[in-house]
Amino acid sequence: MKSRKHLLQWIGVAVLFLAGAQANAEPYLAAQMGFKCAMCHVNPTGGGMRNVYGNTFAQTLLAQKRLGAEEDLWTGQVMKFLSVGGNARANFNYEDVPNQDASNDFDIEEARAYLDFGVIPNRLSVYIDQRFAPGNATNMEANVRYWFKEGAYYVKAGRMYLPFGYRLEDDNAFVRQASGINMQAPDEGVEFGLELGSWTAQLALSNGAGGGAELDTGKQIVTRAEFVKSKWRAGASLVYNDTDLGARSGAGVFGAYTLGPVVLLGEVDVFEDDTIGDGTTFLATLAEADWKIRQGHNLKLTYEWFEPDDTLEENEQLRYSLLYEWSPIQFVQLRAGVRKYDGIPQNDNQNRTQAFIQLHGFF
Amino acid sequence: MPVLRINLMAAKGILLVPALLLLAACTAGNGEGLDESGQPIPINPPANSDFQEIQDTVFTPICTQCHIGAGAPQGLRLDAANSYAMLVNVASNEVGSLLRVNPGNPDQSYIVQKIQGNADVGGRMPLGQAKLPQDRIDLIRGWIAAGAPAPAAVANNLTVASSIPAAGETAQGTGKLTVIFAGEVDASLVSNTFELRDGLDQPVALAQVIVPAGRPNVVEITTAHPLASGSYQLTVRGQGPVALADTAGHVLDGDADGAAGGDYLMSFDVSAGAPR
Repeated sequence: MKSRKHLLQWIGVAVLFLAGAQANAEPYLAAQMGFKCAMCHVNPTGGGMRNVYGNTFAQTLLAQKRLGAEEDLWTGQVMKFLSVGGNARANFNYEDVPNQDASNDFDIEEARAYLDFGVIPNRLSVYIDQRFAPGNATNMEANVRYWFKEGAYYVKAGRMYLPFGYRLEDDNAFVRQASGINMQAPDEGVEFGLELGSWTAQLALSNGAGGGAELDTGKQIVTRAEFVKSKWRAGASLVYNDTDLGARSGAGVFGAYTLGPVVLLGEVDVFEDDTIGDGTTFLATLAEADWKIRQGHNLKLTYEWFEPDDTLEENEQLRYSLLYEWSPIQFVQLRAGVRKYDGIPQNDNQNRTQAFIQLHGFF
Repeated sequence: MPVLRINLMAAKGILLVPALLLLAACTAGNGEGLDESGQPIPINPPANSDFQEIQDTVFTPICTQCHIGAGAPQGLRLDAANSYAMLVNVASNEVGSLLRVNPGNPDQSYIVQKIQGNADVGGRMPLGQAKLPQDRIDLIRGWIAAGAPAPAAVANNLTVASSIPAAGETAQGTGKLTVIFAGEVDASLVSNTFELRDGLDQPVALAQVIVPAGRPNVVEITTAHPLASGSYQLTVRGQGPVALADTAGHVLDGDADGAAGGDYLMSFDVSAGAPR
């Protein structure tokens, strides 16, 4: 048994070196391991398809137990020039909104498949992220990525998720709602990236139409830079969107610190949007703690604060979450959690309580 | 040196932990002096209407958590200043064959499909939240079934809500323009109130200018020939001998000064490409 575990660890270490400095995961996992986002994901800004190391990590270090023979290590590479991946999240949801009957339902939060054609290995890739549920198939990302200088720089063009702050799984987090940059809203444009030493940085130019049709000549520019060390990381993001209706600008700082089995993660974003009323400044924050109780078990606590209009008093909103994530075997995660919203008393929706149980399958 | 490194790391943690605790000290607002959507209670509340009620109880308090400003998903802004113009008779981005609000046809309105959860694309709205209460869905369906009338504040002046192509947009070789109004247009006036000129200020021949059946707030303009590459300006007359007006006789507020009158001017470019 011991030799089997050692073999898997050696495979993991070997793949780590083979993969170079590429890979990424959920931000807390990256912080826990001291990795950049690009360590586990094909996409250097994280999210979506996992690369060889990301798949190996999911089998050897994330899951509580690995089933199957040692030689059956899934890497995502189904043939020399083609890698595949996917995600499916099936939920049971419960929601209690004040002054309304509580409701519950089963739903498929998402089912996605990823394809990465490495037509020139380690140099040129064509990447596709297709969502199959809910609803009919929809393309979420389709881009071409070209690496320069042995993986130190890249340029990416097409439809993509833009780089701003931490790319959280939870699209409804205040920081992701306020920025409008999340996993529901890809945009078309071009991105330049840098992966040098402890630095990871991106600069993107996009339509800035929230994934909708471009209706004006103005464009959006987004930039993100992060300095990553094994126990801590810190970064900043900027966005400026020029539209016919007015400009929207934002800035954010984010960071994480690892204290033994606990990762503390935070983000603060402020936005000024001339297209809302006479111009509005709003602010969103996230504080998150993740405790790795033991391999395969994570307890997540989040605290979020949202100031939707800084010219008004007493309109702030809070959101707390308590989640447990259990990865019993490779590529399977069971998640259960409660989220409590706390806003102005006259808005029932801002005071709702949600609970969910989720079966997350991925590869 | 290792001791120094440990101390530096500890110092960073000491900085981050209080910062997170400081965030945790923030509280929710008590809502004093605000309405349900978190805005100051208006001194003179707007006249009630189905659309106003939808705006006040659905769009503003729930949808504008995301659908607001330049970052609105799919470019759909649902704040009070924009919602009507961005919904009624405007094609959906996700399913281009459906209008977001198809007056008279709730089942063929993309917004209804999205809130009911039977849309072809993407998740039910509001995303990540419980389904809207059935009485709110019924209110929206009823408003659409009644022809999606404009709210009172909008109906007082006939204004242009949007156009295809949009102002400043570069269209691929086109021979058709669509102008969407926030109000029902008097179809008897459209043949004399629309004028298109090219970049040399020469008039462009129009084959027809119509209000299509079942879409009383839309005017479709078809040019006699596909437009060549270049710049164009569309004028909708809101002043002079013949001015466009709505079916109640309200003259177009073309210059958006809040008062009836004034021409509406819209410039756009055309580039070579397949007709759209």
